[in-house]
Amino acid sequence: MLDLVAQTSLNAIYAASYISLIAVGLVLIFGVMGVINFAHGELYMAGSYAVVAVYADWQMPFFVAVVAGMVFVGMLGLLMERGLFRPLRDNPLGGLVASIGFLMILQALATLGFGVRMEHIPPVTQEIISFSDKVRLPMSRLYVIVAAVVLLSALWYFLKRTRFGWALRASAQDPEAAELQGISIAQTARIAMFIGAGLAGIAGALTAPLVSVNPHMGHTVIVTAFIVIIVGGVGSLEGAVIASVVYAFVHTFVTTFFDGVVADITGLSLMLLVLIIKPTGLFGSADRA
Amino acid sequence: MFSKITALGLTRRTFLKSTAATAAAAGLPSMALAAGEPIKIGFLAPLTGAVAAWGKPGLDGCEIWAERVNAAGGIQLADGKHMVEFISYDNEYDPAKARTGATKMIREDGVSFVMMLGGDTWPGVQPVADKTGMLFSTLLPSDLSPDSTTLIAPAEVHPIYNVTGVQWLAENKPELKTAVMCAQDDALGLPSVATYLAAFEAAGIEMQDEPLLFDPATTDFAPVVTRLISGDPDIVCLDTCYSDYVHPICEQLFQQGFTGQIISCTADFYDQMIAKTSKEFMEGFIFQFPDFDDPALNGDNINFEDPNGFYAEYNARHPGQWGAVSWEYAAIMDLWKAAAEKAGSADPDAVVTAMKDGGTGKHAFGDAQWWGTELFGIDNALVGDWPVVAIEDGKAVIKGFKSIPDWYEKHGDLLIKHMKAYDQMWNQRG
Repeated sequence: MLDLVAQTSLNAIYAASYISLIAVGLVLIFGVMGVINFAHGELYMAGSYAVVAVYADWQMPFFVAVVAGMVFVGMLGLLMERGLFRPLRDNPLGGLVASIGFLMILQALATLGFGVRMEHIPPVTQEIISFSDKVRLPMSRLYVIVAAVVLLSALWYFLKRTRFGWALRASAQDPEAAELQGISIAQTARIAMFIGAGLAGIAGALTAPLVSVNPHMGHTVIVTAFIVIIVGGVGSLEGAVIASVVYAFVHTFVTTFFDGVVADITGLSLMLLVLIIKPTGLFGSADRA
Repeated sequence: MFSKITALGLTRRTFLKSTAATAAAAGLPSMALAAGEPIKIGFLAPLTGAVAAWGKPGLDGCEIWAERVNAAGGIQLADGKHMVEFISYDNEYDPAKARTGATKMIREDGVSFVMMLGGDTWPGVQPVADKTGMLFSTLLPSDLSPDSTTLIAPAEVHPIYNVTGVQWLAENKPELKTAVMCAQDDALGLPSVATYLAAFEAAGIEMQDEPLLFDPATTDFAPVVTRLISGDPDIVCLDTCYSDYVHPICEQLFQQGFTGQIISCTADFYDQMIAKTSKEFMEGFIFQFPDFDDPALNGDNINFEDPNGFYAEYNARHPGQWGAVSWEYAAIMDLWKAAAEKAGSADPDAVVTAMKDGGTGKHAFGDAQWWGTELFGIDNALVGDWPVVAIEDGKAVIKGFKSIPDWYEKHGDLLIKHMKAYDQMWNQRG
């Protein structure tokens, strides 16, 4: 039983890692831009396809592909900011609708470029850390956990300890006051989009060898990310991270000890419970990017 | 004209029945073929989306089939030879799109027969089938019901043939005593769960746990696998999972240290699974869909023309794309062609009557019988032998053919019991 709990905990830590990377990016974009980016799941998908192209097809090193994925998806974020969200800055609903259109474009491009079938990505490594016969952590999963810890720590440092980070938070809290202080809203928006999209991209890139990469893979991810940011409090980065951990542990343990369908119901019930008890989410009123 | 048709083996009664039915369906536009006009066959299946792996490879196989048939002169009907042409429509595994596609194929394209994957898309198409009397085929006989007499399942009796894999395991690896199972919670997964439960019970293999169901949207299978192997089962059964699930589940089984027996309905693109795990790990993996270069398919019992050549041609055109359905739609076309030639007509009623004449038919894997009243409410499934396939030294190998009707005769009550428990009998489905 102890082994089962330990293995399930490792599974949950991995899930929390990639979910938090995606959710934090989504929250960052919402916090600074005021737009709910429905295409965030497809940005995750684009990161996975970057690995398909660079690592599986062109046979370059995996970590080169991961960096390429992050940069490529970050650039997609910049494209979205310039082409979609900036012209619709005063129209949050317009931004939302535009992001839905963009997700369809990304899905269609992935289908045209790579076809409809699940992509085969050779394993990066088959090394496994064995804690016991029944408690094992594949190295490829450890990469995701380490990347999440490093990147989210770096993001926290950037937001709390650097001038750009202060500017970003100021723009999120009160754009007009920030602009009066000489902060460029357009520039902070670009930074937020690049970082937010890049986090989704690196999550997609790192998990690509571990999941089924197909043009529709973003759907499940965006649903999970929405649950997480609602539980954590829309706009709260800390809330997104903590809610990712809570959601991942609840979902993983319920899947293991009951089944996956019950786990989905439990995840949604968790969201409803938080909305009833604290409609702003766990950290909604206390913090905002 | 009449003598010509009777010469082709039709009785007067059958002819009158067929023509009456044809007259009743006179509302169908473009049904009658002009002499020499190509016969159009509808291919209504998911060509994109998550289920495309059970549609697109089938269309690719049909194109090869059509080229072969046309090169040999086409299909011989009463009024002469006709070339054959496939009209495809991507239903994206969506019932509404499937309905639109069926209507278009019948009304605008003038197809004589429509092949479908079935499953979730059939309820969308059923009203069109009932209204027009068009002949449809499905790969999933769980779509069958007495309400739709023009729906047939002539290639695949999913999931009933899964019993043959378990039966083979019990006979050849009697040391395997316990099993666990996981499945996606959908119209494809649940009847297969019931079938495997019946097969394990019939084989005396104990289920360690209730089948573990997961949401079809699942992407991380580590928790599922952790639970599955927590009791050290001898067998892990992957039910009829889509290949998007089979691959990551197998990878997880490998990573979490499972060393027992794996059995699955399909193992599409198993070479990729081997690449992600190891040849040793995949050795002995049991499933139900052979590669058609298998020498066992050259026997006299096989009713699929030149399976090895078909497989070679398929792989030359679509390298690495061979899957469970690559041959199935083509096999249905073999049956349809034989029936149309026997009837001398492409008319749906005439074809289905000729196809079911005598209650037997030539299934790809041997002579079979039209069957299914107890399970589906109608004898519209063609059932006979089915192969059991194992991966040996990195290659799929047919280990033998097992009779589904023989198994059912002995253990049919178990199958019905489990089907009822999962609400999968034809009169229980919504």
